[in-house]
Amino acid sequence: LLERLKPRCEEIIAQYEVKRSALLPLIHLFQQHEGFASPEAMRAVADMLDLTPAVVESTVSFYTLFFRKPVGKYVLQVCRGLACQLNGAEDIQAYFREKLGIGHLETTPDGMFSYEEVECLAACDRATCMQVNLEFFYDLTPQVIDQMLDAMRAGTFTVAPMAQTETPASTWIVKQDTQVSQGTKSLGAVDQPNPNNAGGLDKDGVIMLDRIVTQEQRFRGRTKERLANVEPSIAAIYANGQEGSH
Amino acid sequence: MPVVKVLTEGIGEANLRDINVYKERGGYKQLERAVRTLTPNDVLEICDKSGLRGRGGAGFPTGRKWSFLPANNPMRYLVCNCDEAEPGTFKDHMLLEEAPHLVLEGILIGAYGIGCHHAYIYIRGEFKRGYQIFMEAVEEARKAGYIGKNLFGTGYDLELTVHRGAGAYICGEETALLNSLEGKRGEPRLKPPFPAIAGLYGMPTVVNNVETLAYLVPILEKGAAWFASVGTERSKGYKIVSVSGHVQKPGNYEMPIGTPVREIIEIAGGLRPGRKLMAIQPGGGSSACIFEEHLDLPYDYESMQKAGSMLGSGAFCVMDDTTDFVKAAFNLVRFFAHESCGQCTPCREGGHWLETVLHRFVAGRGLQSDLDMLRKVSNQITGINLCALGDSIEPFLASVLNRFPEQFEARVIKEEVLPA
Repeated sequence: LLERLKPRCEEIIAQYEVKRSALLPLIHLFQQHEGFASPEAMRAVADMLDLTPAVVESTVSFYTLFFRKPVGKYVLQVCRGLACQLNGAEDIQAYFREKLGIGHLETTPDGMFSYEEVECLAACDRATCMQVNLEFFYDLTPQVIDQMLDAMRAGTFTVAPMAQTETPASTWIVKQDTQVSQGTKSLGAVDQPNPNNAGGLDKDGVIMLDRIVTQEQRFRGRTKERLANVEPSIAAIYANGQEGSH
Repeated sequence: MPVVKVLTEGIGEANLRDINVYKERGGYKQLERAVRTLTPNDVLEICDKSGLRGRGGAGFPTGRKWSFLPANNPMRYLVCNCDEAEPGTFKDHMLLEEAPHLVLEGILIGAYGIGCHHAYIYIRGEFKRGYQIFMEAVEEARKAGYIGKNLFGTGYDLELTVHRGAGAYICGEETALLNSLEGKRGEPRLKPPFPAIAGLYGMPTVVNNVETLAYLVPILEKGAAWFASVGTERSKGYKIVSVSGHVQKPGNYEMPIGTPVREIIEIAGGLRPGRKLMAIQPGGGSSACIFEEHLDLPYDYESMQKAGSMLGSGAFCVMDDTTDFVKAAFNLVRFFAHESCGQCTPCREGGHWLETVLHRFVAGRGLQSDLDMLRKVSNQITGINLCALGDSIEPFLASVLNRFPEQFEARVIKEEVLPA
């Protein structure tokens, strides 16, 4: 693939006065052909631009339109901006989740669809809107969605599927990523309670730390015990002797 | 009704994507006139006299921005900012797709006006279709001799590079945009130095919004006095207002700056029958709300500021009495928390904690102490970050919390139902 794209890459690099500026367009190019920004592609781009692979990956990880893991053939990005929300985007999102059986940032097991709720797409005059592989669709209703999904499954949809060179996993988000947008920074992982995400959310959306603060009288004692009292899963972690490692 | 067609002229009627159609309607004449008969200084003077102010959000006078470029350095760049991502704004998206040649001519005139030989346009990654349309326009213009070496035989060279982003709201901030254009993470830089002194590749750079540059074309055609004759004392000319939310005919409407707020709602078809106006967000996701008592204010930079909000990018979001303001506030706070680049702690952490707290309110499980905290926390986030994103997190929340406290209070849980 690199051989084939090389001339186009050189054309792109020549458009800029400083080589590194070509980083985004080159990743766009590779992603277009591979369906995602693969480690090999990032290494190749690093070579062409005289950068280290780490620098390239760091930059790529900043941008939400670059996927560092394979995604579905159709990436469905439904707008969750304010104007869409005022016009019923929540119902549309719920409909998608139900129809596809997956949630935000997930891919269906057959590798067909990836679903994401994205920020304002700048088409608020025709809310609610979405993009399929970056092509706009407006004025969504359950009927429109049904027709779209059927056409995609039947292979008669107006938008071409993404290239898919590898089978996608259930999500394309890289776990160790500390990117702000994935909500994994100081809060800790939502679904994996451990002593160090006391500030995180529990399943009810309540901050665990707040429970402790508001129920201080009931839970006096050392931090470990307090935490274990509040969250059974933490007690289990202590019991098994596996202290959290974040 | 004061709807006018200046930039929006012909959109929806003629195929302005076709260079021949655009030329028949007088396209590229102003570029030719500028390059052939005017000096860059003349262009700057016309721009200055017209009173044109930046249409991207900050509203900085365009002529003054250009004049900050150091005269002793011939190396300089013009960058057109088409990373439109402010919630509720969709004017640049329309211009890019429907009038690509107008945008292009504006950029080229702007580039000549500041005397640069290489201009860039940064297009939001999501606008794939717009990018393709614009690339075709650029190819056509290049063939027609409007881009390249020795324009119109005058010896003036001008190159243009189209750069596509990859999904990051923060790249609309000018220094973050420059970093992204340089192939780096889109993180804003410390200012000063401002881009006019050290911008792209460390060289003096002007970053202007799509709409700002596009207005150069009619200003050159009809004169600075024509543009300065409309609008209010300090806000001149026309503006495309993106009306969205609870109106019957949302869309882009071009009008003189200073049109009363009430009229803008009428232009967009008014509210749905039987509904009552609750709030308007007049300047995109970053702005505080204005309310009923502000309906007769002129929609200009100064009046919006006096009302405690801002005109911003001209995104005008109307909310009626069906609106859940707790959810709306959560929506916008989540947006800013999501889009924070993470460099500055108050913005990165503050945004995320506000999101978490508001999430509790949305779930009907807010705490009484949160209400006081929400009221106090704002000045601990605002004004202490590298860029304006941190300052944008809280104005909407503060204004609706102040106006509709009952909606928040209704979602506070009582002590005894706290989960054990």
